[in-house]
Amino acid sequence: MMRPRRTRRERDNQTPRKKRTCRFCDAKDIYIDYKDEKRLQRFVTEQGKIIPKRITGTCAKHQRQLVQAIKRARHLALLPFVSDTIR
Amino acid sequence: MDTAKRLYETTFIVNASLDDPQVEAVITRVQETITKNGGTVVAVNKWGRKRLSYPINKKTNGFYANLEFEGTGSLVGPLVRAFQLDEMILRHLTIVLDRRALKARAAAAASAAAAAALPEEPAAVPAREPLFKETEDQPKS
Repeated sequence: MMRPRRTRRERDNQTPRKKRTCRFCDAKDIYIDYKDEKRLQRFVTEQGKIIPKRITGTCAKHQRQLVQAIKRARHLALLPFVSDTIR
Repeated sequence: MDTAKRLYETTFIVNASLDDPQVEAVITRVQETITKNGGTVVAVNKWGRKRLSYPINKKTNGFYANLEFEGTGSLVGPLVRAFQLDEMILRHLTIVLDRRALKARAAAAASAAAAAALPEEPAAVPAREPLFKETEDQPKS
């Protein structure tokens, strides 16, 4: 089945999405520390899930480091696995 | 046998229901296990009592301590074993400080040193008198 073709207007009305840049690259950060829970909190949802890089704009290299840092922080109860409100 | 000396970092949570001297005793015990197994403690950071993000062993608070130490890989095994045997330790995490971490650390130390060198400057500048003094007899319009 064919998908209904979008009209020209529909396409033109789309606001161009701003290109997000990796915050860690911008800040020239070399190391993402698991002890810095305040910083990590920004990359975690209300529920405590790790936000995908397609949302935050973090580059792949830093996302890998970030994920490791978040998981270490969770182990030490610096960050929740599941937020209190859900439990 | 792993003979390369590396910088490690271990963070652990001590049962916060203990008194301060008892917590100190636990921390010194950990330091002793490090030194006994051929390591050298570089730094001891006590973060103090903190709320845990989730309860561990039905406890909601913990005393966080962080040790940096140098040693070979063969030191980590006994240390982890000691952590597991110690009932007063709720959680522990030992990591090797990799190249990136060391670099960041060096950069932070350099900036801290620079910051320590700087504060002389602003202190030397005397507080400037306000250019326009407000006199009380002149009503402000």
